[in-house]
Amino acid sequence: MDEKRVALLKSLESKSADLLVQIQKEDNMKKKQKLIAEQQHVQRQVVKVRSNQKISKDTKKDLVAYSFIAPNFIGFAVFTLVPIVFAFILAFMNWDGSNEITLVGFDNFKKLFTDTFFIAALKNTIIYVIGTVPLTMVASLALAIVLNQKVIARGFFRTVSFFPYVASLVAITAVWSMIFHPSKGPVNYLLLTLFKVPQDQLPKWFSGTLVLFTLILFSVWKYMGYYMVIYLAGLQGISAELYEAAGLDGANTWQKFKYITWPQLRTTTFFVVVMLTINCFKVYDIAVMLAGGGDGKLSTSATVLVYYIYQNAFNYWDLGYSSAIAMVLFVLVLVVTMIQFKYEKNLD
Amino acid sequence: MSNEAVLRKYRSKSKSAAVSKTIVYIILIVITLMMIVPFLWMLSASIKSNREVFLMDPFVFIPEVPKWDNYVKIWTKIPLLKFVENTVILTIVVTVLQLITSSFAAYSFAKLKFKHRNTLFLAYIATIAMPWQVYMVPQFIMMRSMGLNDKLLAMICLQAFSAFGVFLMKQFYEGIPDDLCEAARIDGMSEYKIYASIMLPLSKPALSTLTIFTFVNTWNDYLGPLIYLRSEEKKTIQLGLKMFIGQYTAEYGLIMAGSVLSLIPVIIVFLCLQKYFVEGVASTGLKG
Amino acid sequence: MKRKLISIMLTAVMMTSVLVGCGAKEEAAAPAADAPAATESAPAAEEAAPAAAEEAAAEPVTLTWAIWDEATTQYWGDIKAAYEAANPNVTIEMVDLGSQDYMTVLATELSGSGSDFDVVTIKDVPGYATLVSKNTLEPLDAYISEAGIDLAQYGGVDKQITIDGSLYELPFRNDFWVVFYNKDLFDAKGVPYPTNDMTFEEYDALARQVTDTTFGSQIYGTHYHTWRSAVQLFGVLDGKHSILDGTYDYFKPYYEMVLGQEDDQVCRNYADLSAEGLHYSAAFSGGDVAMMNQGSWFISTLMTNIASGEYDASLCGNWGLVKYPHAEGVEAGSTLGTITGLSVVAASDVKDAAFDFVEWVSGEEGAKVMASSGNFPALMTDDIAGMISGLEGFPTDAESKEALKVSNLYLEVPYAENVAEINNVLDTYHKSIMNREVSIDEGIASMNEEVGKILGQ
Repeated sequence: MDEKRVALLKSLESKSADLLVQIQKEDNMKKKQKLIAEQQHVQRQVVKVRSNQKISKDTKKDLVAYSFIAPNFIGFAVFTLVPIVFAFILAFMNWDGSNEITLVGFDNFKKLFTDTFFIAALKNTIIYVIGTVPLTMVASLALAIVLNQKVIARGFFRTVSFFPYVASLVAITAVWSMIFHPSKGPVNYLLLTLFKVPQDQLPKWFSGTLVLFTLILFSVWKYMGYYMVIYLAGLQGISAELYEAAGLDGANTWQKFKYITWPQLRTTTFFVVVMLTINCFKVYDIAVMLAGGGDGKLSTSATVLVYYIYQNAFNYWDLGYSSAIAMVLFVLVLVVTMIQFKYEKNLD
Repeated sequence: MSNEAVLRKYRSKSKSAAVSKTIVYIILIVITLMMIVPFLWMLSASIKSNREVFLMDPFVFIPEVPKWDNYVKIWTKIPLLKFVENTVILTIVVTVLQLITSSFAAYSFAKLKFKHRNTLFLAYIATIAMPWQVYMVPQFIMMRSMGLNDKLLAMICLQAFSAFGVFLMKQFYEGIPDDLCEAARIDGMSEYKIYASIMLPLSKPALSTLTIFTFVNTWNDYLGPLIYLRSEEKKTIQLGLKMFIGQYTAEYGLIMAGSVLSLIPVIIVFLCLQKYFVEGVASTGLKG
Repeated sequence: MKRKLISIMLTAVMMTSVLVGCGAKEEAAAPAADAPAATESAPAAEEAAPAAAEEAAAEPVTLTWAIWDEATTQYWGDIKAAYEAANPNVTIEMVDLGSQDYMTVLATELSGSGSDFDVVTIKDVPGYATLVSKNTLEPLDAYISEAGIDLAQYGGVDKQITIDGSLYELPFRNDFWVVFYNKDLFDAKGVPYPTNDMTFEEYDALARQVTDTTFGSQIYGTHYHTWRSAVQLFGVLDGKHSILDGTYDYFKPYYEMVLGQEDDQVCRNYADLSAEGLHYSAAFSGGDVAMMNQGSWFISTLMTNIASGEYDASLCGNWGLVKYPHAEGVEAGSTLGTITGLSVVAASDVKDAAFDFVEWVSGEEGAKVMASSGNFPALMTDDIAGMISGLEGFPTDAESKEALKVSNLYLEVPYAENVAEINNVLDTYHKSIMNREVSIDEGIASMNEEVGKILGQ
C-alpha cells in the first residue's frame, strides 16, 4: 500500500520535472500555457498524494487511540464534566429547580458572610480536616512501618487493619454509636468503673464540643488501614541496601527512620496528604450517621459543608445558593492542594 | 577486638532487637484490638437479645441462649433480599464497566500518541481533585431531565466512568516497558490485540486493586443512592439498613445481624483479591 | 494546548447553557400555558365533568399515588381497595417513597418537567409550601366549587393552609397530640392515673411521682421524642403564640421543665435518645415509660402492633389516653394538630380523575375507611369519633374516649412563605439546647436572631 503510493509519487514527480523541461523548451505561447496548466495539475496531485499519505496515517492512529478512550470519556464527559460546568454557572443564579432561572451575580456569595449555619459548617469542616489529616497520616505510617517488619502472622494483621476501610459505614457507625453510647456504652462503662469518672461527667460522645473529636477519631480508625497500604507499598520501594549501609555506620532505629525512611517516603507522604485532605473536606455521611440522631439532622456543633449543600439543595431548593457553597468547598480544596504542591516543589 | 567483646556486642544487639520486637508486637496487638473489637462486638451483639446487648457486668461474648433467629428474622422484617439483589447488580455492573472502560482508556493514554492527549488527560486529573459533592446537584438535575431518576442505571452512569480508575490504570501501564508494545507492533499486531493479549494479562495486580476500590466504594456508597434511588424496591443495602435502623431503633440484635450480613460480600471480595493488593498499589504508583 | 482547553471548556459551557436555557424556557412556558387553562377550567370543567364521568365508566384510568411506608401503614391499601371497588374503571397505583425524607423525595420527584404522579400525599406544611412555590401542585379552588365541597367540614384547618387565596390540598387525615400512659406502671406505684384536665405543674408532679430511679428497674415518668414539637409546642397551646412569631421566649418555661426532668431522670436523656435514634414507639412499647406525649397516629400503631404480638402486651398492653396538659388559666382540650392532605399534581394528564379520588378520600367515605383502622380523618364527626373509640383494642375507660374531644387545634406548623427555613432554625437550636451545648437563654436568643433574619428578608 505504502509502496504503491511512493511509486505513484515518484512517477508524478518525474512527470512534473519533464513538463518543466518541456515548458522551458516550448516557444509556442498557446502550447506553453497548456503545458503550464498541465504541470500545475500534476504538482497539485503531488501535494495531494504527499499530504494524504501523512493525514491518513495520523488520522488512523488518532482514531484508534480515541476508540480506546471513547467508552470511558463519553460517560465521563456527560456525567462529570458537564455537571461541573453547570455547577459553576448555577452559583451565580437563582433557581428552585422548577421555576425560571434568574441571574443574581454575586448575591449568593454575599449571603454566605452573614449565614450563621454556613459559618458553623465551614468552621467544623476545617477543624475536622486539621484534626484528621495529620493523625491519620501518622497512624497509618506507624502501622505500615510495623507491618513492614518480619512479624508473625503479618498477613493476618494487614488484613485486619484493612477491615474498617472495607466495612460499610452504616454498619460500623451503628456499632460505634452503641460502643460510645453516652449512658449504656462499654466505653463509658469502663470510664465509670475503671477510671471512676463521676456519672454526670461521663462524656457525651455525639454532641456538644466532643462530637468533632469523635468524628475525627472515627475517621482515623476507619481510614488508617487504607493509607497504611499506600505507605506499605512505598516502604517496599525503599532499597534494603540503604538500611544495611546505615546499619554499618551505626545508625539507630530513629536515625534510620529520620535519614532514610522519611525522605524516601516523601512522594508517598505527599500523595497521602493530598488524598486525605480532599477526602476530609468531603465529609458528610460520617457526620450524619454518627451525630445525626434519629432524623439525620446536624446541629451547629456538628454541621459540615456538604451537609449544608445537601440541605440547601434538597430541602430548601435553593440550588444557586447550594452551588455557591459547593464553590467555596471546591476553592478550599484547590487552594490547600496547590499549597501542598508548591511545598512539594520547593523541596525539590 | 577480642572474642568476648564481639560476643558481648552481639548479645546486647540481640537483646535490643528482642526489646524492639516486643514493642512492635505490643503496638500491633493494641492496634489490631482497636480495629477488631467493634467487629467482635457486632458479631456478639447480633446473637443477643436487646437486654443482653448492653449488659456489662458480666460481659459475655456468646450469650447462654444465642439468638440465631436474628439472622432469620432480618430477612422478613425488611425486603433485604431485594436490597441485596439491587446492590449486587449495581456493584457488579459498575465494577465490570469501570475495569473495562478505564483500562481501555488508560492503555491509550499510556501507550499511544495522539492529538489532544494531554488536554484530555488533564480533564481527568482536574476532576479527581473536585469533590463529587461540588457538582452532585447539577448532575442530579441533568440525570433527572434524562429520565434516569430513581433508576439503578443512574447510579451505574454515575460511578462507572470515574477519573480515578483511568488514572490508576494509566500509572500502572506506564510502568510496563514500551519495547513490549513496539515489538508486538513490528510483528503486525493491532493495538486492540496488543491491549487484549499483552497488557491485560499483565495488569492483574492493578485490576485487583481497582476492583477492591470500586467494589468497596459502590457497595458502601450512601449519599449517591440516597439522592438517586428513592423508591423502596430500588434501594441498596446501605439505604435499606439505614432505613431499618430508623424504624427498629431498639432492636439492637437485629440491627447488628443486618450489619454483619451487609459486610460479608465485601470482606469476601477483599480476602480473595488481597494477595495482589499491596503489589497492585505499589505497581500503580499510587504511592506517589 | 491552553487554547484547546479553553475551546473545550467553551463548548461545554455552551452545551450546558443551551440545556439550561431550554429547561428554563420550558419551565417558564408551563405556568403561562396553565394559567388561562386554570381560569377557563371552571366553566370548561362544568361541561367536562359529566362527560368525564360518563367517559370514566368506559375508559380505564390509572392514577399514580405517592405514599409512604406501605408495609406498616394499613390505610393506604384500605383506601385503594375501597375506591377501586366504588370506581371499577380506576386503578390506583401506589408508589412508596418511604417515610424518612418523604417530602424531600417528593419535591425531587416533582421538580422539573413532567412527573409520573397524579395524586400526591402531603405529609407536612413546610413541604407543602415548597411544592406550591415550585408550582408543582394544581390549585383546587375551581374543582372545589365545582364539586360543591363545603370547606367548613374541616373545622377551619383549611384556612391555615390557604396560600394567597388558593387551596392546593384537601386534608384527609387530621392528627392531634395527646398523652399516652401505661396504666400498669401507675398501678404498680399506686399513683393515680393522669386526667383530662391537668395543668403543667400537675403533670410534672405526676411524672415525678411515678418515676423510679432504681438501677436496673428504671421507670421513666415521662418521655419526650426528639422532635422539637414535643417540647417547644407546649408553648403555643395558650393561643397567644405561634412558631412564626419570630420571638420564642415563651418556650423557656417548657425547656426548664423538661431539662429539669432530665436532670432528675424523670425522662430519658436527649443525648442518649439522639445517639441511639430511639423511636418513640420503641420507647413506649418497652414498658418503662409511664407517660408520653405523642400524636394520635400512634393510637392505631399501638392497637395493631399489640394485636399482632409485635409489641409485648404484658409491657404496654394496658394503656390509656388523656388530653394534653394545659397552662394555668387556659381551658383543657387545646392541642397541636398535624394534617395530612392530598394534592393533584399540576403536570398530571388526568387531573379530573385525580381530583375525584382526592375528593373521595377527603370526604365522608374516605373518612370511614380511615376510622375503621383507628386513624383520625380530617372530616371528624361524632359518629366517626365513636367508631374509633369503639374499635377492638381501644382503651375502654371513659377518660380515654373523652380525650379524643378537641376544643382548640393549633397546627404544629402553620403555613408561611419561609416556613421550611424557620422550621430548620427551630430544629437546630432545639438540638443545641437539649444537648446542653448552649443554655436555654442562649438557644432562644439564637432562634430569635436567626428567624429574625429570615423574616426580615
